[in-house]
Amino acid sequence: MKTFEEKWTAWLDDQLSGPELEAFEASLPDLEAARAEKRDAKKLGSFLKRELAAQTLSNEEFFSHQLRERIARETEEDQPRTRSSWWTVPRLVWCGATALALFLLTSIVFLSEEQPAEQSDYLTQILNTRVDSTVNPNATISIFESNKTDNKVTVLWTEGLQSLPADYAAK
Amino acid sequence: MKTETTPAQADVSELDLVRQCQEGQTDAFDQLVTRYRTRVFAMIYNMVHNEQDAWDLAQESFVKAWKSIGRFKGKSSFYTWIYRIVMNVTIDWLRKRQIKAGGAEFDDAIELKEIDPASKTVPKADPLPHQRMQHQEIRSRIDKAIAQLSPEHRAVILMKEIEEMQYHEIAETLGCSIGTVMSRLFYARKKLQNSLRDVYENV
Repeated sequence: MKTFEEKWTAWLDDQLSGPELEAFEASLPDLEAARAEKRDAKKLGSFLKRELAAQTLSNEEFFSHQLRERIARETEEDQPRTRSSWWTVPRLVWCGATALALFLLTSIVFLSEEQPAEQSDYLTQILNTRVDSTVNPNATISIFESNKTDNKVTVLWTEGLQSLPADYAAK
Repeated sequence: MKTETTPAQADVSELDLVRQCQEGQTDAFDQLVTRYRTRVFAMIYNMVHNEQDAWDLAQESFVKAWKSIGRFKGKSSFYTWIYRIVMNVTIDWLRKRQIKAGGAEFDDAIELKEIDPASKTVPKADPLPHQRMQHQEIRSRIDKAIAQLSPEHRAVILMKEIEEMQYHEIAETLGCSIGTVMSRLFYARKKLQNSLRDVYENV
């Protein structure tokens, strides 16, 4: 069921016909006044058409040129976003795990080359036999040796020693 | 609906051009732009009454059309589809502007611009100064009257009276029912008749 506004609009635009037109015109209290308003509305329509349709786009070619540039620029801007999608979460996890494994491997290799100086058991035993146990009952002597290629160091570690054997100082 | 086409362009159907656009051919889109740019610009200009804003909104509309052309299924004509984008962009812009203006009527901040006399589609001599002034005055009255209408009413009256679109095309473009279109037309006409009667009766 059309409202009055809808019927009126259809009537103004000559969209009513047959019994619908007759029924609508019969329902109008003053048909002549309505027809005058219809003429007025048509006058408004043609006036608007005449005045507003004259609007043109100046610099049409520049408009298209600017649009082409903008589309090209925005398409280009969208592309890096597509490329950055390479860094998906699984890939990030794999990259992290690989980096960690490489770090651990490098650390192990590096540390194995940099072992601390080993205690020389053989030299320690010799020194202990040379210390007089009656004078130094609780004496312990240790020797540490570092055998690096460019830097050889020997550390003598003594505890509870009252005096050094006389001949040791000479050696 | 008339479009700007050269005879060579007219040979290529609109649907073919759309298909080419969907394959990423910007040249095809350029042809569609050439066909519709003037009408799109004029439509927007008649709604916003400012040349620079109309230019920007027309650009925005075409960029949106390019980005979403992959979703065009051909269920409606291309011009209905592009007009829908144009109307969405323009009505959104008008609404935002209304909100910024604190809900004021659409008539205060509108900058009235003279129609470019260097119109090239129909070569003609420049009007005489008094004719130009008279024309400016008329245009100003029309713009003020249209500015009193809501964006939806503006869209309906312009599509009907200027573009001569059918009710169902307007409804499709605005995404509303035909009854709504007819009802909006009723009120928009009444308002414009009241505001402009003295102008069009005396021209």
